[in-house]
Amino acid sequence: MTEIRSQDLGERIRENQQEKFSDSLKPATRNPQPATSLKTDQMFVNLGPQHPSTHGVLRLALTLDGEVIIRAEPDVGYLHRGTEKLSEVRGYHHCVVMTDRWDYVSAMPNNLVFCLASEKLLNLQVPERAEYLRVIMCELNRLASHLLFFGTYGIDIGAFTPFLHAFREREMVLDLFEMVCGARMTFNYIRIGGVAQDLPQSWIEKCKEFLGYFKFRLKEYDDLLSFNPIFMDRTKNVGLITPRQAVDWGLSGPNIRGSGVPYDVRKTDPYSVYGKLDFEVCVGESGSCWDRYYVRMREMAQSVRLVEHCLNALPSGDIVAKGVAKMPKPMPGEAYAHVEGSRGDLGIYLVSDGSFSPYRMHVRAPSYINLAILQEALVGLKVSDMIAVLGSIDIVLGEVDR
Amino acid sequence: MSSSNAVGYLAGIYQGFSGTIKGLMVTLRYLFKPSITVNYPVAKLKPYDRFRGALLFDAVTCIGCNLCVKACPSDCIDLQNMTTPEGKKIAKVSWYSIDFGKCNYCKLCEEACPTKPKSVWHSLDYENVFFSRHEMVRAWQQGDPWCGTYFDPADKKYRVSQEQIPIEEIPARR
Repeated sequence: MTEIRSQDLGERIRENQQEKFSDSLKPATRNPQPATSLKTDQMFVNLGPQHPSTHGVLRLALTLDGEVIIRAEPDVGYLHRGTEKLSEVRGYHHCVVMTDRWDYVSAMPNNLVFCLASEKLLNLQVPERAEYLRVIMCELNRLASHLLFFGTYGIDIGAFTPFLHAFREREMVLDLFEMVCGARMTFNYIRIGGVAQDLPQSWIEKCKEFLGYFKFRLKEYDDLLSFNPIFMDRTKNVGLITPRQAVDWGLSGPNIRGSGVPYDVRKTDPYSVYGKLDFEVCVGESGSCWDRYYVRMREMAQSVRLVEHCLNALPSGDIVAKGVAKMPKPMPGEAYAHVEGSRGDLGIYLVSDGSFSPYRMHVRAPSYINLAILQEALVGLKVSDMIAVLGSIDIVLGEVDR
Repeated sequence: MSSSNAVGYLAGIYQGFSGTIKGLMVTLRYLFKPSITVNYPVAKLKPYDRFRGALLFDAVTCIGCNLCVKACPSDCIDLQNMTTPEGKKIAKVSWYSIDFGKCNYCKLCEEACPTKPKSVWHSLDYENVFFSRHEMVRAWQQGDPWCGTYFDPADKKYRVSQEQIPIEEIPARR
């Protein structure tokens, strides 16, 4: 028997079928022409706003040439709630509630950045215990957020199991939050001048127990997904973003660090007590999807380290600054504060005219700015790689549209 | 040239297999562990003490000071003081309504409440599902239960909402 390679077999079957069913295709298959002279029509595809892979109500207007993307335009605004405008008629304490709704996957940094800006306006000195509590909560929230990314990115690529593992651990983090502040996603925990409540009894032990458990799970995640050859084939050398591009488009967070630029607000402009804490800034090498993914995985280990350090160094004392009014009325002026949120450099610009509510609030939302690079990063990719790139940028539409 | 190609091809196959088996070994370990999920409608988890569930209102302690109305960021609370026959407001409440369609579950009203025990507070009830928008607005008047009644526009009457979940009966969590 002669060996027939699968490829040859496929060609033969196709030829047979074409001879049988379609005479018109004969010349093309017999005398294949070079691809450059093939005339193809451009196709316009709307991806979203209800596409399961877009992580929310995002519409991507794609122009395709065959399978290759030649133009991609992200269209945002489907989840716009106008919180920046709403803040102009609400008191400063009320605005903290609305900040929870921007990046609902990691709401603690949102709370923190608004409080930092308001404290600058009000000239408040936050007690040290509150500062440590804020850092603990923000880092735990980074864990929860990156776990969600890890799970959903696996699903985007086609691996379902990591999702269940990620959500099991995420649930434990959310339980810790529920014990402290009573909510699982919209916390309203970090307040102007401090935090809302002190830790409940035996919370520190529970948190340490979780961290000890979680450290060993990171190895499992690597076995499950990070170094899986199929996953690496789909993500390595896909969606490359050069450091130059990353800086030009104003990326921040794990996306810019994945390209090898060590930009982290916690290091470059330390806020809260990050100046006293010891941690590494994780950077990737080539700026591929896998690098951005793996930067997040390594950041989780750093977050665990930070939380452990903070729990051990947690001082006793007040949790709210003295003299925070029920309706604060800062002097006229402006303030800008930014923090390293789970998705990048989250900034807030507040202008006060001396009344009970801000005159103007502007949010520098990292998801929104990171999303813009899709216009450049997607061009030339195949449609199947598009989802890999979109997932690796890790956007939350609540923050994009605000 | 061709031999190195074949080696690379076989190495690729080996890597693909070993990576898949590595992942499967992780899942295999969990196959023999007990399930961590809960059969929800049959078994329920009780939230932790600080959980911010549906708001409850107690008119006995309320002094009608309007602080919760001012503290609410989304204007979901409405309050009317009782009046004397001469039309003077007194420190008692005659009408109190909470719109759960607007409520943020932020605890600012509970923190603002000056009475002890609190007149408005977050219960542990997390099953706040409503059949209609009218049912979301819970109003309290004289003689109503704690959680209030809702206005049914069909027959223009205030009704006690059905299927209130007695959260105290839920067994302790974990």
